[in-house]
Amino acid sequence: MANMINLLMAGLATGAIYALVAIGFTLLWQTSQTINFAQGEFVMLPAFFVLAALNLKAPLWLALLIGLGASLLVLGALFKRAVVDPMLRHGVLPLAICTMALSIFLKEGVKESYSAEASPFPSFVPGGNVSLLGAQISIQSVSIFVFALVVVFALQAFLMRTSTGRQMQATAQNPSVARLLGIPVERMILYTFLINAGLVALASFLVSPVYLAKFSSGETLGLAAFIAAIVGGFNQIRGAIAGGLLLGVVDNFAAAYVSTQYRGAVPLFLLIAVILFRPQGLFGRAEERTV
Amino acid sequence: MSGSKAAEPVLRVKDIVAGYGEMTILNGTTFDVRPGTITTVIGPNGAGKSTVFKTIFGMLKARSGSVTFKGQDITNAPPRRLLTLGLCYVPQGRNIFPELSVRHNLELGGVSAGAGVDVPARVEALMERFPMLRKKSGQQASTLSGGEQKLLEIARSLLLDPQLMLVDEPSIGLSPLMVQEVFGILKDLRQKGVSVLMIEQNARSALEISDDGLVLELGRTRIQDDAARLLADPRVGQLFLGGVVGDAA
Ligand SMILES: Nc1ncnc2c1ncn2[C@@H]1O[C@H](COP(=O)(O)OP(=O)(O)OP(=O)(O)O)[C@@H](O)[C@H]1O
Ligand SMILES: [Mg+2]
Repeated sequence: MANMINLLMAGLATGAIYALVAIGFTLLWQTSQTINFAQGEFVMLPAFFVLAALNLKAPLWLALLIGLGASLLVLGALFKRAVVDPMLRHGVLPLAICTMALSIFLKEGVKESYSAEASPFPSFVPGGNVSLLGAQISIQSVSIFVFALVVVFALQAFLMRTSTGRQMQATAQNPSVARLLGIPVERMILYTFLINAGLVALASFLVSPVYLAKFSSGETLGLAAFIAAIVGGFNQIRGAIAGGLLLGVVDNFAAAYVSTQYRGAVPLFLLIAVILFRPQGLFGRAEERTV
Repeated sequence: MSGSKAAEPVLRVKDIVAGYGEMTILNGTTFDVRPGTITTVIGPNGAGKSTVFKTIFGMLKARSGSVTFKGQDITNAPPRRLLTLGLCYVPQGRNIFPELSVRHNLELGGVSAGAGVDVPARVEALMERFPMLRKKSGQQASTLSGGEQKLLEIARSLLLDPQLMLVDEPSIGLSPLMVQEVFGILKDLRQKGVSVLMIEQNARSALEISDDGLVLELGRTRIQDDAARLLADPRVGQLFLGGVVGDAA
């Protein structure tokens, strides 16, 4: 029982991080038909922005702020201007392929310019354990889960309750009509990229203290987020949340009860199961979009 | 304005040339819309009717020619400016935001509102006028029937109190009852002094409620005349009115 609670909490923490990344992934798809195969590397990179700032003797809070700012700039605005805008003119597929190339470039770039080794990363949430029903629960896991959840709910509230949020949704759902109502469509799309950059940066700051900062750490994360998004229905934010949490929990239980060796295969099994039995995803609707 | 003509056109489209990429669809399209009237555009499929609307509304660039609204040049003006000047546009097909609520769909019609406009009050007024919208205000717009969605689109386009409405095939896919309702709204608007420029396949019913009509063919105005005279014109009858209702499939 105690072990189960531990596993569940660890799974929810991992899952909440997957959810952050999967939501960003979904948002990019919705508003600008971008399938970002570099999303995992987008989570890997902000940690190195922070490490670079720490190496320059910045205090942690400042380094995190710099990391967030650099992510918004590079993974948000620059990614849109330099990669998505020019490639999308050629179609969805060329853009997707381009993001694959970008993922390799980012990975190799960090490996060459920073280090091929895993670097420890400071945690901004407290460590230690609390006991609950006889189980020793990691405070870090709980904080990650709560923090990610707060961010997700804040984002949902922004999208649903503010005028700008609804203009973003309108842009995603019907860009040509949004344009003829005078919604500044280009700006709304830019906001989406900035939000994605913010989400991956937060995911990076939460996950790196646990799994260390390493050039290759985006591989599993990117795949997990991709699968979480598909499991959740691909076009739904709440689907991405459910998909992320489910994947995180299943992943942790499988590692404990099945085999750590097969752990990597578990998300794929989940994906296949969903595609077979519910191809539109847990929350998805069949898409009518003509790409 | 005593020196000007009795009825200066609310909209004047003059020698418009426009198209997609290399392709030219509009070859010098020219016509006027008189204030406070309903003007119906008819013409065969592919004549460029929708293209005219897109060009007037700044969605497609006019290569030459001019569009004038109440004496102001609006050629190639962006939608936002047109909306604030008093134009609105309801395109062909479905134009809602399916996953937003009916109320939020309506509100988005006010995005381009100037500082002095009380958008919530306007939303209220529209719900007063279209009770169906109030009844379903919390529902996702995708749950509305086709006709209700059209009403929602029309209501949304009225949010900024337009003086000229462009509406592209409003009756397509609607039940006869719903068509009557939509045409009723357009007649109401005319009564309030709003001008309507409408494209319709349902040519006979549309011309019957119209003041003026024009026939567009190959991107040019073939005939512009009184709606009643167009209805009686044998050339028009042969091409667009005879059997149209039955053959429309
Ligand atoms: N986005 C587009 N890209 C390229 N060609 C287009 C586009 N939209 C329309 N066309 C072409 O322009 C021509 C005129 O189209 P338009 O939609 O204006 O016709 P229409 O008179 O409205 O016809 P319908 O009665 O079928 O609605 C057609 O030949 C059409 O194939
Ligand atoms: Mg048309």
